[in-house]
Amino acid sequence: MQGLDARLSLAGVSRREFLAFCGAAATALGLGISGAPAVADALQRGPRLTPAIWLNLGSCTGCTESLAQSGTPDIATIVLDMLSLDYMETLGAAAGTQAESALDDTLRRGGHLAIVEGAVMTGEAGNTLRIAGTTGDALLERVCRDAALVIAVGSCAADGGWVRARPNPAGATGVLQHLPQLEPRLVNLPTCPVNPEWVVAVLSGHLLGLPLPPLDDLRRPLTFFGQTIHDNCPRRGHFANGEFVERFGSLEESLGWCLYDMGCKGPVTRTDCPRVRWNRGVSWCVESGSPCIGCGSPDWVDAGAPFLSRTNAVRPGIAGLRPEVAGEVVAAGAAGAFAIWGVVETARGRLRDTMDSGETDRTDHEEPSGTLKNG
Amino acid sequence: MARVAIDPITRIEGHLRVEIEVDSGVVKDAWVSGGLYRGMETVLQGRAPADAFYIAQRICGVCPISHGHASTMGSEAALGIKIPNNARIVRNIIEGAEFLHSHVLWFYTLTALDYVDVVSALSANIADTYALAEKAGTTTADFGAIQKRLAGFVKGGQLSIFTNGYWGHPAMKLPAELNLIAVAHYLEALQIQAQAAEIIAIMGGKFPHFMTSIPGGTSWVASEQRLADVLFRWQGVSDFITNTMIPDTLAIAPFYLEAAGYGKGVGNFLAWGVFDDVSMDPKKRVMPRGALTGLTPFDPKPEEVTEFIKHSWYDSGDNLNPAKGETKADFTTYDLNGKYSWVKAPRLNGKPMEVGPLARMLVAYVDGVAPVKALVDGALGALSKAAGKKLPPTVLVSLLGRVAARNLEAKVIADAMGGWIGEMVAAVKGGDSKYFVEATQSDGQGAGLWEAPRGALGHWVNVSGGKIANYQVVTPSTWDCSPRDDAGVRGPMEEALVGTPIADPTKPLEALRIVHSFDP
Repeated sequence: MQGLDARLSLAGVSRREFLAFCGAAATALGLGISGAPAVADALQRGPRLTPAIWLNLGSCTGCTESLAQSGTPDIATIVLDMLSLDYMETLGAAAGTQAESALDDTLRRGGHLAIVEGAVMTGEAGNTLRIAGTTGDALLERVCRDAALVIAVGSCAADGGWVRARPNPAGATGVLQHLPQLEPRLVNLPTCPVNPEWVVAVLSGHLLGLPLPPLDDLRRPLTFFGQTIHDNCPRRGHFANGEFVERFGSLEESLGWCLYDMGCKGPVTRTDCPRVRWNRGVSWCVESGSPCIGCGSPDWVDAGAPFLSRTNAVRPGIAGLRPEVAGEVVAAGAAGAFAIWGVVETARGRLRDTMDSGETDRTDHEEPSGTLKNG
Repeated sequence: MARVAIDPITRIEGHLRVEIEVDSGVVKDAWVSGGLYRGMETVLQGRAPADAFYIAQRICGVCPISHGHASTMGSEAALGIKIPNNARIVRNIIEGAEFLHSHVLWFYTLTALDYVDVVSALSANIADTYALAEKAGTTTADFGAIQKRLAGFVKGGQLSIFTNGYWGHPAMKLPAELNLIAVAHYLEALQIQAQAAEIIAIMGGKFPHFMTSIPGGTSWVASEQRLADVLFRWQGVSDFITNTMIPDTLAIAPFYLEAAGYGKGVGNFLAWGVFDDVSMDPKKRVMPRGALTGLTPFDPKPEEVTEFIKHSWYDSGDNLNPAKGETKADFTTYDLNGKYSWVKAPRLNGKPMEVGPLARMLVAYVDGVAPVKALVDGALGALSKAAGKKLPPTVLVSLLGRVAARNLEAKVIADAMGGWIGEMVAAVKGGDSKYFVEATQSDGQGAGLWEAPRGALGHWVNVSGGKIANYQVVTPSTWDCSPRDDAGVRGPMEEALVGTPIADPTKPLEALRIVHSFDP
């Protein structure tokens, strides 16, 4: 075996497909398409696959499921050609002592990645999660101790997710809250479930030997979590025009109008869902006619519920953007248009206050994209 | 006598431990322990019914659609909401897509590795593999390239998810060529499950965890373009089930006919039913509501469901109906004579009930549901030929039957789904634009009694002043993985494990087959 190149040919992956993947990975990592050769070089260096351990803690297995919905590369490529996923309860062939010995072998060799799905369960002295005669939090500690990188996938691993919602009956918490010493080598990828394209991008960066991508104060990559859903929403034009869905399953919904009045948390939710989309890009929440419920936000259930009501926490535009993040985003040149657009909208009085139903906006139509019939 | 603990049980959703007592190569006793408590029912107290839809589906990332629907139906039953016909059709299509996703994923990704020796596929003769595929009537792939990919992978010495699998185990019976066919279809199934999930994403925003089936109907509005996107994905999944999954099942089964002789379980079956027709009568669902003792049918009454907790780590009321149920965690210690599981022990009129595709298919078969009867009789005919003797329907009450029932059900649902897409197209063309109705009351009690791919699912919802006053869930795995009840009677999976032959107690592959046959 002579490195990844030889493995690729054995795997039946063509040079062309490999380079296409490198291009996609380079773009996802913010290197631009010109970074593809660097990606290819780095990937071909290592003669062995990086060992990885995927832990399911207090989870629903939805993040594993989500990974199985990855586009390019697909799940088979990830678990067979990118990584050696030596311990993963949901997909692993081995069970019981055979699974435990695979885990022991990988931990003994070290240099592994730890991917953690689900909340850390501390209730009943950790016994709210029992795995192989020990508790979930003890297993987490053992697996993360010498891990080269810890990726907390999904909102439950990031901060306890719904499991930690009031009154948190099982004592759930996030990986970083439970093991703060992991901070320098931990990346949080919230949303419920995690978006698989982000997992693939972070994995690729690690396999390339790159330093961690720029992160926000919640250890989330700014590339994916730097802007709000509202910033990139395809229905944003309708927001500007004051064209709102006021009832589910309505004609306004069939015209794709803005879901802000239905409780959409897009203005305060920092993810790039409208761009990355879901399930190999076929759709995303707002496109299906549902307001965003903010599943990538900290403490998302208690912060967002009741999901179908507009809340005072929703303050669209510049006011909802923390200055330090705005600075980074604008400096990166990724979203100058966003800031300008926000200022323009604010100046023109189109941003709706959250304290009333905003009747005045109804008169402020501009190039409506659909015509109400029978309405 | 040997005591064997399998922990973690892998290739399932969740955390499960199984302990078996093996004597002279046969399981004499078994205990099933659920390892996780998150407290969903407590989290939902005091919240709005619509919020329960978004939150409760997160009980399970493999079957969130079923939980979302059961939650919404529970709220609708409590608040007296009757959904528009379009919402019924939309929910059937989304639910159907989840069933197909789940059944394909289960057979190829989760349980196949109990029967298919991946390493043995390396010694398959390629020409013979094509000949065998043709003989079995299943689809072909580039078997040579797949074998080469596998060879490179094994030579590299890093087996990833196949590390320490049960390769070369004496209970593995397939010829190398059939193993290679199954490995090829394992890889293809990974694409097919994603294609089924795309249907949910189109109509529900994403999968897992979807957005649109809120109490009152659906927030998704159909258009001809979107239905075309759904239709072509359904066609691909449906073709795979008909032309690959069913022939694979019938090709593999003859090598494991002895699995018709054990894994019977408790012999009581419960289905709340799933996929409503226009009447919204649970007995007329595509997979109808019903219960069986042996093959004798009776009407299951939701008020006769109670949950026992003598062997579960809870300190709350015992033997309560879920409408008045309580959930208060209290871990003591793992003690097989006392408390040993986070799973409660639900019983119907005091009896343990097996739930899942086998229960649904038997209920439908006894009920005379035409497509189910035709498929089951066809499969029994094929298996009888392989066995050299006529096999009666009762042979399905076994490990073999439980596996076959799930795959046959996938075909029933794939076919029915074509009909629902047609209904939806007709509704759009006919101008029916009603998808949602508002609630008119804010108090009441009800239950969403439905099915997840892995069996009967109930969400009992009590709403007071527009807020949830009590919420209780009885999942399929609560039924199937239940510990002993207060009378000491084993749960369905525990009972099914008893009598299972174990060739090598240090590698209890056959016990894994029983566990996986329930798709926990």
